[in-house]
Amino acid sequence: MKKNYDVIVIGGGPAGLAAAIKAHDSGKAVLLVERENRLGGILKQCIHDGFGLVRFKEKLSGPEYAERFIDEFYEKKIDYSVLTFVTRIEKKENGFAVTLVSRDGVTTVGANSLVFATGCRERTAKQVAIHGTRPAGVFTAGTAQHFTNLLGELPTKKCVILGSGDIGLIMARRLTLEGAEVVGVYEAKPTPSGLTRNIHQCLHDYNIPLYLSHTVTRVFGADRLTAVEISEVDDKMNPIAGTEQIVECDALILSVGLIPENELAEGLGVKIDPRTKGPAVNGQLMTSIDGVFSCGNALHVNDLVDYVSESGETAGENAAAYEKKERREIDLTASGEFLYVVPQKLDLNRDNSRTTVYFRSREILDKCVFKIKKDGQEVFKKKYPFLRPPEMEKLVIDFDSFKLDESSELKLEIEVNAE
Amino acid sequence: MNLKKVNRKLEKRFGSAAHASFHDGMITVTGHLPKWSDVVEACSSAATKYSKVHVVNDIVCDEVKEQPMRMPKITDKSLDGETPDVLIIGGGISGVSIARELSKWKLDILLVEKEADLALQASGRNDGEVHPGVDLSKGSMKHYYIRKGNEMYDEVCRELDVPFKRVGQYVCFDKTWLKPAIALYCLWRRKHDGISDTELISGEELHRREPNLGENFKFAISNPSSGCVCPYGLTIAYAENAVMNGARVALNTAVTGMQVENGKIVSVSTNRGTIHPKIVINAAGVFAEDIAKMADDRFFSIHPRRGTNSILDKKAGAFMHSIASVVGLNFGKNHSKGGGILHTVHDNLLLGPDAVETFEKENTETRKESIQTVFTKQKKTMPTVSERDIITYFTGVRAPTFEEDFIIEKGRKTENIIHCAGIQSPGLTTAPAVALDIEKMAVEMLTKNAPVAKNSGYNPIRHGVPVLREMSDEERNKLIKENPDYGVIICRCEEISKGEILDALKSPICVPTVDGIKKRIRPGMGRCQGGFCSPLVTKIIAEYLGVPISEVKKSSEDSVITFGKTK
Repeated sequence: MKKNYDVIVIGGGPAGLAAAIKAHDSGKAVLLVERENRLGGILKQCIHDGFGLVRFKEKLSGPEYAERFIDEFYEKKIDYSVLTFVTRIEKKENGFAVTLVSRDGVTTVGANSLVFATGCRERTAKQVAIHGTRPAGVFTAGTAQHFTNLLGELPTKKCVILGSGDIGLIMARRLTLEGAEVVGVYEAKPTPSGLTRNIHQCLHDYNIPLYLSHTVTRVFGADRLTAVEISEVDDKMNPIAGTEQIVECDALILSVGLIPENELAEGLGVKIDPRTKGPAVNGQLMTSIDGVFSCGNALHVNDLVDYVSESGETAGENAAAYEKKERREIDLTASGEFLYVVPQKLDLNRDNSRTTVYFRSREILDKCVFKIKKDGQEVFKKKYPFLRPPEMEKLVIDFDSFKLDESSELKLEIEVNAE
Repeated sequence: MNLKKVNRKLEKRFGSAAHASFHDGMITVTGHLPKWSDVVEACSSAATKYSKVHVVNDIVCDEVKEQPMRMPKITDKSLDGETPDVLIIGGGISGVSIARELSKWKLDILLVEKEADLALQASGRNDGEVHPGVDLSKGSMKHYYIRKGNEMYDEVCRELDVPFKRVGQYVCFDKTWLKPAIALYCLWRRKHDGISDTELISGEELHRREPNLGENFKFAISNPSSGCVCPYGLTIAYAENAVMNGARVALNTAVTGMQVENGKIVSVSTNRGTIHPKIVINAAGVFAEDIAKMADDRFFSIHPRRGTNSILDKKAGAFMHSIASVVGLNFGKNHSKGGGILHTVHDNLLLGPDAVETFEKENTETRKESIQTVFTKQKKTMPTVSERDIITYFTGVRAPTFEEDFIIEKGRKTENIIHCAGIQSPGLTTAPAVALDIEKMAVEMLTKNAPVAKNSGYNPIRHGVPVLREMSDEERNKLIKENPDYGVIICRCEEISKGEILDALKSPICVPTVDGIKKRIRPGMGRCQGGFCSPLVTKIIAEYLGVPISEVKKSSEDSVITFGKTK
């Protein structure tokens, strides 16, 4: 490890690997820091297939997908440090001082720019207001997946899954294959949260029932979980009194949402977009702090790993090219039909001729048109047969062709029920 | 106490269904009532606050479903025939602090705790405030011990290597017209009750110190001596120091009965065999009345009171750095100041608790209503608090008597028992001082039979597991060079290393469970609530013990985490 690098990438999952490779390809000195003992991030425990369809046009398992990047990463002899934890980052006059803790001790390394590829964490039982006792047997889906796939230990014999997020659906199938009984997947929303293909391949194909507009309100059991109380919910997702039913099981597995992990970035003062819960970025994926870039699930929760790698590459490339320059930023204002849009800003002092825009709609929308308006005038549109919140959409847009200046008002809108 | 007056009140309210009588120096309330709330009302109306004449509840209540005490799964004879000088029942803050103070003497001390770890009930389920006593008046046991206890905290926590911060407390008022009355109240507390740090501060001063507190606060009572401590951390530290000095702690050990002959306990039966102690100390929390009954010395009753606290993300910890609460017009009339917001010693915010009477001594289930009650109230204290920042919540059950005061005394009928009962808030604050008094009582009791010698090897200093995240880079680096496991971070939220986990496994009272490690050094206490680290901690414990992962438990014997190998 050197004393100083051009780029330090924090996180060795798919986003970080892609960012490090791209930054290295630009001829820069790069260090990748990973807190676990192996590279690959959460993909290590995603042994199911379906990864890489967009990027490699084939179905890979999580570890296989990660392997392609890891092989390339090793071949390029990029500096990295595993089992290494970033404990502190300080902004210095010229770049950043990153303090690392590892088996070798505490070291501080300098960097001109930083890429945060720190992934996301799962929402927990208490964050979705589950009450009752505190027995063993309440797991987030990712934790259950860690036990099952990395430790080879069965976390349940009969479970209820709350939330129809993708990891929950994947675990419904995985646990069924391991001989466990999945009583059902219960979703508080009136529509599933996971990808349609996962509803089919993980639930329908295994006769696992999906109950929409239902939630778990209470858990029972003094030692190990013995049962859960399930209630129907109204259109505001509040439990309806009188609809409670008790379902016996030994585990409650939660797939109730992911939250980008940005505590380190926030420590530096990076501004967070409340909609994505990730940093607000410009087209270069640079955050509100100069020289700090964000990508992957730390930026916003992606549906496919292919997009995670893609944003990693964008962040890596721009972090490598980073030099301090005055910003001339305008907002990309998204209307209420959007759940979120990334990027949130454009820096007119940078190249915006092929800017990737990621977005999700707030609700299921049929026959709609995505529009960009500059000062009230439509400058771009794209038709969609439907938009679904679980499925992220991606567009590459030449913003430079819109001849923008600081006074330009850029609005993104979705017109619904268009012909 | 005017029995006639009490019975007139009872008759007016409950007719012939409840009746009070006086005998043996206690008031027994009998009768038959439908609801537990009626029982609490009847017994409370028969009780005189802070009186030493206690109310004993013998009312039959339809609502109460007698539930047997939860028993440890294990049954063996490992303690059969033991003859300790002192048997302490209860591994909460009271029991362990007494054990530690008694370990200054050359005595065979055995502490039994029915749960799988220490501080699993009220001592591990409270807000961790070290109270100033601003709501206590002279004449109560609570008041007698509060200043002594509060003042001992710096030294005790230094000796036991437990973090403690005097952050100060603000009791906030939004009505200017109350100011003269509260100013007098402060003066009275200061001069008459000896709560010498009590001060009235203006709204401007309050907001200068804590800008996020409610804008409409006009003034506040300030008590800089108020502080925060980790309540289970302190309990474990006390117990470890006691064990270092020769005391023994038996977890998973429940007292099931006693044999009393001629006003003396001759034996105590447990699930681990029959013990023949010289003296018994009753520090059994919500079960203190049951223990007193077993000892033929029941002269008080416990009416359990539930309280729920919420812990907010450390990010919310930046909103406020002390302890604050809003007060209505009922200030001083309730049994406690009614919860508040507290910046914990680990830099989270804690909100709560509420107070709900219950007949269930061991029901620590959380309920939605409790969270709602607490947040509705505390948003008045600080509008920036939000349910969205909750990372966890927990319920504890307090153990008050109907007189709402502590019972720190020798048995009234049975000669070789000392009761440390009725302990509720501010029992954590008073524990160090109470322990010193009970130490004296116990030594005096034992000296009657044979002289008690000093323990020449007594060492009051306990070193906890090093906390690497709080060290300077140099110190941390040095420790990692000595033991590289200190450089392997397992819990990302709280920055806990593998080395610290292994140290906790090697600590004087090893509780090799996921919760045992969590309580000692905090992996899993952060915002991901163990989502990332719990499999890793489970694996480290399994490797340390040399057992399969499926044999590692969350807490109790039956709290299995996994069911064995996958296909």
